[in-house]
Amino acid sequence: METGGLHPSVLAFALAAAALALAAALAARLRFPALPFYLLAGLLASPWLDPGALEPLPTLGLMLLLFSVGLEFGPDRLSELSKKAIRAGAVDALALFLGAALGLLFGLDLKSAVLFGGVVYISSSAVIAKLIAELHRAAAPESEVVLGVLVFEDLLIALVLALFGGHGGAFGVAASALLVLGFLLAARFLAPRLAALLERVGDEPMLLFGTAFTVGTAVLFHLLGSSEGVGAFLAGVVAAGLGLRDRIERLFFPVRDLAAALFFLAVGAGAVRLLGANAGLALGLALLAVGLKLPLDYLAGRAAGLSHRRGLLAAFYLVPRGEFNLVLGALALAEGQALVAQVAVLLVLFSVPLGALLFRYGPEWTRRR
Amino acid sequence: MRVEEAVLPGVGHKFTVYTARGDRVVIVIHQTGPREVYFYRDDEDEPAAELELTDEEAREIGAILAGVIYHPEVVGDARTRVKELVLEWVKVEPGHPCARRRLEDWLAQAPGVHVLGVLREDQALYPNPPADLVLEVGDVLIVAGSRTAVDRFKEAGC
Repeated sequence: METGGLHPSVLAFALAAAALALAAALAARLRFPALPFYLLAGLLASPWLDPGALEPLPTLGLMLLLFSVGLEFGPDRLSELSKKAIRAGAVDALALFLGAALGLLFGLDLKSAVLFGGVVYISSSAVIAKLIAELHRAAAPESEVVLGVLVFEDLLIALVLALFGGHGGAFGVAASALLVLGFLLAARFLAPRLAALLERVGDEPMLLFGTAFTVGTAVLFHLLGSSEGVGAFLAGVVAAGLGLRDRIERLFFPVRDLAAALFFLAVGAGAVRLLGANAGLALGLALLAVGLKLPLDYLAGRAAGLSHRRGLLAAFYLVPRGEFNLVLGALALAEGQALVAQVAVLLVLFSVPLGALLFRYGPEWTRRR
Repeated sequence: MRVEEAVLPGVGHKFTVYTARGDRVVIVIHQTGPREVYFYRDDEDEPAAELELTDEEAREIGAILAGVIYHPEVVGDARTRVKELVLEWVKVEPGHPCARRRLEDWLAQAPGVHVLGVLREDQALYPNPPADLVLEVGDVLIVAGSRTAVDRFKEAGC
């Protein structure tokens, strides 16, 4: 297409924004969460939409999602984790080991098998927190357990990524471990002085500093052979440690929501080319992953003291996969394990709509029985 | 009365209040601002009533419940005077020109305003704060005065 002086990415952005706006309007009309519609809009628009032309916005969306997941950690949050949540999280963590064992059984090497285990294990705290807020489930007892389990999952998967996510071999692992330690120590000892300094900074410089810090940390981690996802996540942890959580939530979330919507659209648009070879096997493995986790999460809910019905709902709520799945998938692809990447993307593609359905109608279905 | 607080990571905070009558009120404060209030009769699993409030509505209702606007002890013409006056909580936001300045510098910009107290995080309330109190970011000032005076105070720099 002749675009004159206009950069092609502007056209792609206009198309993407229009598709997202329609998807969001349709979702609101149907009283349904918007995220699955973003994925579907991406699928439908894929013949006309090149996700690469939208860069770096989708990548920024993913980084800000991981950043906001990290923001929920801080020393305060970890100490607030109840015993109930820890018990449930421990049962739920079996999925990671079962998934990795399954990967080894399929003949994957150790690193790829662990990445596959992560794909099976990790639910999306970003998607689930959004669904809980949108569908007014925050007051329910199962939501407290589910959100506690998610904190546990995110922490465990961050560890997996730090240990197995590097692309620089042993050097990458050592470098990322040192970096993580350095960041946490710096945050620990500079926090009082930095926090006092940042209090004098107005909102706009704060937003820009925060963005530069998040993306810069991610790039630094990548350059040193570690996972950029861990970098973005850690930036969130450091920001939470500086006592900036409330301010950053207010400042960053509108930006994050726009970029993250583009990210999910790009995932949908990019998924078409993964539907080719081995699609049947990948779909089977994705279904297996959901099938493995549902009963485990029901048991996790019961371990946290939920009733039969609330336990079922907790298992339903934990279905959606998202940001970390795609990070793991991208890493597996870099390892040459296209199948693991396919499973990761397919899992996001159908678990978000499925999870949204279970979220929406689960309470009615379980009540009749 | 018993109040339980729980953090909902990524969503907000949840407060469960058990009233003397044996009912349960669950209040969710979303990190984006809105509130949800659920009323559970006795020990029931499903709420008997629910309420969604914006941040502004929740503050107004909270002030009414707390007796700020009408307190049962206030009688006679004192009540009408209370109506003409407004009471507001003004927070010293990061980057505010009056942060790290003395209270009197701010008050000089808006005559007719009284600062009844200063709430400082992790510290007891400063009732009737001295004019040379140095304000910090995060302080919340309890301000009383006529509507116009309080508005002028909120917009004033130092």
